[in-house]
Amino acid sequence: MKRLIPARLARRTIMLAAAIALAAAGCSSSSSTSTPAATSTTPGTSATSATPGTTAVSTSQCGSKPGVAATGTPIALGAIATNQPGTSFTDIPNMANAYFACVNANGGINGHPIKLYIETEQTNPAQIAADAKQLVQTDHVVGIIGNTSIIECSVDSSYWQKLGYYIIDSGIAPECYSTPNSAAVNMGPRYSSDGAVQYALAQHASKIVFDQSNVPGTGYIAAGPAALAKAANVPIVQLTENVPISDADSVAIKEVDDAGPNGAVVLNFTPPEALVILQAAQKLGLEDRVKLWGCSTPCNTDFLAASLGPKWNSKLFVNAELTPPDTTNTATMNLYKAILKQYGSAVSGGIGSFSQMGFTEAEIAVHALESITSGSYTVASVNTAFKAVSGFNTGMLCQLWTYGSYPMHIPNNADYTVTPDNGKMVTAQGCTQISSVDPQIAQYRGVAGTAPLAP
Amino acid sequence: MPATLERASPARARTRLSRPQLIRAAITAALLLFVLLGLPQLMSLYYIDTMTQVAVYSMVAVGLGVLVGRVGLVSLGQVAVLAIGAWVAARLLFATTQPFPLVLLEAGLITMVLGVVIGLPALRLRGLYLALITLMLAGAITVVLATVNFPNGGHGFLGYNGSLVHIPPIRRPSIATSDPAYFRYSVVVAILMFALVLAHIKTRPGRAWAAIRQSEPAALAAGINIWFYKLWAFALASFITGVAGGVLAGAVHYLYSIGFPTQDSITLLAVTLMGGVYSLWGAVVAALLYQFLPALLNNWGVSADWLIILFGVGVLQVLTTAPAGLADQVPRDLARLGRFLRNHVRKAAPAPTQGSTK
Amino acid sequence: MPSWQDFEPFIVSGLALGGVYALSGVGLVVLYRATGVLYLAFGAVGALGALIAWSLQKAGTPGWLSWLASVAVAAAVTLGYGILFGPALARRDPLVKAVATIGLTLILYGLMDLLWTTSGGQARSITLPTDGSGFSVGQIQVTWTQVIALAAGVVLTVATGAFLRYTKLGTAMRAMANDRDITATLGVPVRRVEAAAWLGCGVLAGMAGLLLADLVALDATTLTFLVISSLAAVLIARLRSITVTFIAAIVIGLLHDLLTPVNSLTNYRDMTPFVIAAVALLILSRHQVMSQSREEA
Repeated sequence: MKRLIPARLARRTIMLAAAIALAAAGCSSSSSTSTPAATSTTPGTSATSATPGTTAVSTSQCGSKPGVAATGTPIALGAIATNQPGTSFTDIPNMANAYFACVNANGGINGHPIKLYIETEQTNPAQIAADAKQLVQTDHVVGIIGNTSIIECSVDSSYWQKLGYYIIDSGIAPECYSTPNSAAVNMGPRYSSDGAVQYALAQHASKIVFDQSNVPGTGYIAAGPAALAKAANVPIVQLTENVPISDADSVAIKEVDDAGPNGAVVLNFTPPEALVILQAAQKLGLEDRVKLWGCSTPCNTDFLAASLGPKWNSKLFVNAELTPPDTTNTATMNLYKAILKQYGSAVSGGIGSFSQMGFTEAEIAVHALESITSGSYTVASVNTAFKAVSGFNTGMLCQLWTYGSYPMHIPNNADYTVTPDNGKMVTAQGCTQISSVDPQIAQYRGVAGTAPLAP
Repeated sequence: MPATLERASPARARTRLSRPQLIRAAITAALLLFVLLGLPQLMSLYYIDTMTQVAVYSMVAVGLGVLVGRVGLVSLGQVAVLAIGAWVAARLLFATTQPFPLVLLEAGLITMVLGVVIGLPALRLRGLYLALITLMLAGAITVVLATVNFPNGGHGFLGYNGSLVHIPPIRRPSIATSDPAYFRYSVVVAILMFALVLAHIKTRPGRAWAAIRQSEPAALAAGINIWFYKLWAFALASFITGVAGGVLAGAVHYLYSIGFPTQDSITLLAVTLMGGVYSLWGAVVAALLYQFLPALLNNWGVSADWLIILFGVGVLQVLTTAPAGLADQVPRDLARLGRFLRNHVRKAAPAPTQGSTK
Repeated sequence: MPSWQDFEPFIVSGLALGGVYALSGVGLVVLYRATGVLYLAFGAVGALGALIAWSLQKAGTPGWLSWLASVAVAAAVTLGYGILFGPALARRDPLVKAVATIGLTLILYGLMDLLWTTSGGQARSITLPTDGSGFSVGQIQVTWTQVIALAAGVVLTVATGAFLRYTKLGTAMRAMANDRDITATLGVPVRRVEAAAWLGCGVLAGMAGLLLADLVALDATTLTFLVISSLAAVLIARLRSITVTFIAAIVIGLLHDLLTPVNSLTNYRDMTPFVIAAVALLILSRHQVMSQSREEA
């Protein structure tokens, strides 16, 4: 037994060290932001150097009183985002927070700073429901902006309806687009896949293979491409893959076989999974065996373009829900890049659609809050203001953005198409409306009309 | 030997509870009353929802504890069993208007039958083989669930409609629709399940399990039907986990297959070992580790990864130094601390000192 | 029913997948034969090494050095675990020893997600120089990396089988895995042999980790829990025969991919390892009670 004591002591010490580390970690974090300190995952295009052709912009433009820090009572807002191994959407609320930090440093909302409470979840419905109650009952948030979650809209939509919250989010689940209390800045998987399929059909693909990850909502998502293909009289094959994919080779072979030489393969996966499939296709020598490849918005990152290499130039066409950042030199885009650089240390993905979405949501929220003249920021006043946003030019979307009092919301329904070009994503097609052949789009346009394109 | 077991039973039934046992029972009753009546007033809805999950997983953990602690069978697939229970309950709740307790019972029974049917051939395997085959079966069930999905109000046997834009919520019992009320409801169900386990432990199955855990050949020689009692343990664990699945379905309102990954069964085993497989309180500790701590850390903004590391450390600790887990270790450590303090106090007093036991 | 033409490319990809399973499976059985421990942290340790190689390469380290570092880290972690926890658990049931490695797996998994955070738009990948070239079989390309993985499985099977059976060190390892105390009384330097076994295991896990990170995905979750699918082959061999493990892994990989074009079963093809393992075990155990007592090795 004596022999074991040194080893046992070593083990006890390890255990004690682990416990102390846990306690230290608990004491040192604050509750409003949840991502741990940025580590070695530097993004492909970092935000540290200004790209050529952009004018350096002062971030103080974000607020109404440049240089004056807001010191009044904070306006509490909340966000719920998925953060689990393999899927993390925290960049979106973190970027919104960065925008709010800029506004708080430059006058706030009539002198009031904005405090964003971010709750993370691991796709556990009980946890998501609990997070919503935490935000409302404990943190007393008056508005919800920045939600990005695989299932949050489904779990919480009746709760938000009951309490009268009109949320601004980046939607994924069906309820983010089909309920009165949620309006998204993005198009979500269904309409983004619609855009990709639409582009493939426009290139006269003779067959569509639509492959998506097997996460909640596959039937809802598949219905859009199915409607588009049917209207164009083009056969469509619907596939799903369990993620994480451990055997990308068989996935790529099946897709290519099903599509045929004049067909198109359209993917709807998160960037790591899409990358694995496309890389497998390349390794197997299959990328030229179909007419073209398509992908929904998650593929729209320079990182993917850089990882894929030149073989995919003008071969892969990605739906872009937001204005391409690299080729746009407007004041808003430059402000976005400047805020990301100055305040966005918690945004690990850098320039890309996630941080763009966060920026846009925060932009809309600030615009709405600044329109409140009564000076009282309550659940009623803030959410009335959110709902009243109409024809707002975000500078990040194809169209003017409107919330409105509709039973459903799909305010972003026109997209770009981008393609990789030697390590960067470049525009292949400008703003194009998603076809009304998709019944949900038709229903939305029936109540809300067709929003004009942003100037 | 079996005759001795028979004779022991009536004699034990006549013995009254000793004083420490009475005190323990009183404390337990007081604690349970507090949990039922006091806790919902004190906690925010966030923590009430979390504690409902604790109630659910304490049932799963007690089932696993029976298997691991009482019979010595390690199952690496209890989360898959929970998923089956939740699936059955959800299907019944959508398809029928049966009262909630009846649905729970049916979910438990159907899960029990499935558990027995699957467990029967598997019981020919022992030790590591049995653990690994439960992992294999859990993996298979997870893949099936990913394809057939959980019922969401659709029609047909599977009850899943993939194109819904509005998914209806799974209903709750009419007497417990609010979150605090449902919390109390789930605690009551958990108490019933724990009572069921206690009843088993105190009577013949419990003694048979103890004999099997001690030494299978000896138990066999004593005339105990090992297969039957092992199957009984499987059936009990499956029943309780199935009921827990039903409670889970009502708690979350929406079920998704991504919520039941295979690796969760591994984490569940880790926390059950840490909590302690030899005592019923260990199951509660395991559920607190598994559901309450993550919710706490989430609130403080600490990454859940620290907890995973802690669980890994905990497993190693339990297996190398404290086989009975926290439920046993903490009272023992506290008792040791008490003894140490008492000796210290005695040393300070003018009376002749006794050497400290540490 | 798809035609032969449809199945053909999947035979090639199935062999490649079988190679992946074989690498983990054979590694697990070799470790079990040498140390008596079913090293469930095999995947996690390999993933850790691969992620370290990725980080080093990003920082500019030359490729070969990063691979060396990755294997060294995997070996160090495994050796550390073996020395710290091996002796304490040596007398326990193989089940207990396997569950203990679950503890190590969880620690490594949590650590990896902390240090290499999941970022929304990012995806990590590692490439080996053999990825760029290959040859074509039928309609599809095969990279040299896949050939290496398959060959490594074969070499591992043959070499370690021979090592364990014919060399003194290998025999000592088998004896120790069987019964540590008796082996010690025979005058075998148990500490050194044990350290050698664990070190070898670690090197194996590190190399397999690099290959798997290249062939499958550089993702902590995928690589850590890939070991669950590889366990199927291990179970079929009843943790004894390295050759049977290899063959079983190839068969499982082939069957998994051959189901892809069969539309009615394609969504269930990820079940293949589990179903085959369950069925095989039940058939193998139909006449006898299968127990993994200490007397069997």
